[in-house]
Amino acid sequence: MSASRNRVFLTGLWLIVTLELRQRVRGVSWYVLLGVFMLLVGIVTFLLWLATSAWMSGGGGVFSTIIFFVLLLGTLVSPALSGNAINGDRDAGILATTQVTLIGTAQLVLGKFLAAWITALAFLAAALPFLIFAVVLGEVSVGTITVSVLVLASELGVIAAVGVGLSGILTRPLFSIVLTYLVVAALSLGTLIAFALLGTATQQQATSVNYNVVSSTFDEQTGTQSDIVCSTAQTSTYDVPRFDYYWWILAANPYVVVADAAPGSFDTSGYPTDLFGQIAVAVRSAQAPPELFTEYNDCDVAAQGHEDRGLDSGPTAQETYDAAVPSWFIGLFIHLLLGVGALTWAWRRTRTPATHLPAGSRIA
Amino acid sequence: MTSRTVSGTANVTPSGIAVTGVSRSFGSVLALRDASLTVPAGSVTALIGPNGSGKTTLLLMLATLLTPSTGTIRINGHDPVTEPERVRAVMGWMPDALGSWPSLSARAALQTTGRMYRMTREQATVRADELIALTDLDDFADRPSRVLSRGQKQRLSLARALVHSPGVLLLDEPASGLDPAARTSLRQLLRRLAGEGTAILVSSHVLAELDEMADAAVYLADGRTASPEQVAAANASARTWRIRSLDDAALERALTVPAVVSALVQVLGSDQLGTLVQVHNEASAAALLHNLVLSGVPVCDFGPAVGNLEHTFLDLTREARDGIAPTVEKASK
Repeated sequence: MSASRNRVFLTGLWLIVTLELRQRVRGVSWYVLLGVFMLLVGIVTFLLWLATSAWMSGGGGVFSTIIFFVLLLGTLVSPALSGNAINGDRDAGILATTQVTLIGTAQLVLGKFLAAWITALAFLAAALPFLIFAVVLGEVSVGTITVSVLVLASELGVIAAVGVGLSGILTRPLFSIVLTYLVVAALSLGTLIAFALLGTATQQQATSVNYNVVSSTFDEQTGTQSDIVCSTAQTSTYDVPRFDYYWWILAANPYVVVADAAPGSFDTSGYPTDLFGQIAVAVRSAQAPPELFTEYNDCDVAAQGHEDRGLDSGPTAQETYDAAVPSWFIGLFIHLLLGVGALTWAWRRTRTPATHLPAGSRIA
Repeated sequence: MTSRTVSGTANVTPSGIAVTGVSRSFGSVLALRDASLTVPAGSVTALIGPNGSGKTTLLLMLATLLTPSTGTIRINGHDPVTEPERVRAVMGWMPDALGSWPSLSARAALQTTGRMYRMTREQATVRADELIALTDLDDFADRPSRVLSRGQKQRLSLARALVHSPGVLLLDEPASGLDPAARTSLRQLLRRLAGEGTAILVSSHVLAELDEMADAAVYLADGRTASPEQVAAANASARTWRIRSLDDAALERALTVPAVVSALVQVLGSDQLGTLVQVHNEASAAALLHNLVLSGVPVCDFGPAVGNLEHTFLDLTREARDGIAPTVEKASK
């Protein structure tokens, strides 16, 4: 009984998906768009290959950049393709004629979301040859490939869900498309701006105490200093930005989610070998609070000899990365919540028989 | 004879449409105040009213798209608010807005609609072909629907409403945009469907069309359905008849003779189609015709200048307008 009901639901859902795809995707212009996209990715791949082979070994750099490029193009194209899925149908007078059939609102909203997602995934599929090329260049781990492709696909799904959701929530297609773009911009750029502004606006006073060598005798043969006369404590205060309070804002950035999710890949000296690692290290280093009190005793250093000073160069990128908390699942969770919320709200607004109509809307 | 591809659940409880005391407001605007009507199975009922009288609102509620604010609706015994799915399975709706999936051909659109009613692919294909033949869309069936003319879209929209052989049919302005031949076949189709037991509610402005196919009429003015008494009164009110004679002079002469023209008849003048007279009722019209023929006038055409529905419609809307006339005139100045 319930199995057959599920079958009926899925058949109807798939009917809506195929109908949407036939409606939106069929036609020459779509293939031209995909062709242009492939050309762009091709050029980017070729240039990256030339550029990175100089300073990076393997295809990690190329691979990660292509993934980001697909995310960029996906976020630029997806809102236009999904942001009028429901209200555009209403404007064209084809929403109500579907709603009077045995297709339910859940099938309608979910079907439109799946179609929009599949459309966005076509960009990922079009980039596949170039991703394979990057993998062939070597040194891209299976973990990086799997995780980054899966997380990228989820992020494209979130944008499709937000677009379809807003198209069900708002009455006018233009508004919902623009608002979808604004959501994408808020996540991609807004988080960066908010992070930078909030971090720099929250300044805190830090103190550093220095003991300087006033005078000493330098023995050229041993390279050591003797008769060191030390200064009194030189205290200076300065303001430091507190980025560590706001690092979680960056977690909501889709690029950060993709970068942070990929397993870190580092070379022998602890440097990241791909773009994912570089971004992840930058974001995770923001988690560490600045040192508000530093004491530096030049006299001690002088007494121990100059060679030792070189050791104190701070943690490597890999050490920073490993010491910090990964944030991608928080970001992904927020995004999934956003997508599910938008779709649920759209479902509520599109349900029939409708009790409430937004001002100026026509149900047919 | 259409074959019913979807099993005829429609005919299990052939009770048609029943609307009782339905009102609907949009914010502060009362679109429908008090509408009541019944459409028995196997009949065609016309829904008549001026623009903005609430016809489309009422049809949207019958089509399970809007909830009524108050009142009850039953479609074949089912409530569109609590059992929309049961209603949808037996109800076909042709909206006033003509939309079809722009890149799909008429045939593909009908097949898709059939699949939306849970037909198998084969059933949907067979049904689409039947409907294309039924609505004379053969020549355009495989072109994308965005290139169809208004009349062709209209026929596609009708075909889509019929996909699942519904027992209750709601048509919002089905005849607008149709050429005379298509109107005639629409009329014949609706009569045949009614003959097969379908309850049909048609809203239209082309009242002469409805006159010929409707068994009953519901008048909607200012969000209210007119009561039977109002309709009877409007029907019985004095109305204009048109007389045409082979000999205009003889007709003119005869109409000046008091013995021919009784007190209940008033000569209004003539238009390009004939002479117009206002008669009090059908009895006095019959008496007038009798007298004209007796006095030797070669009458070749004698009938109401406006159709039954139009006459009642105009009379009822005049009533409604006169009721609120003072405020309207103030507002317009």
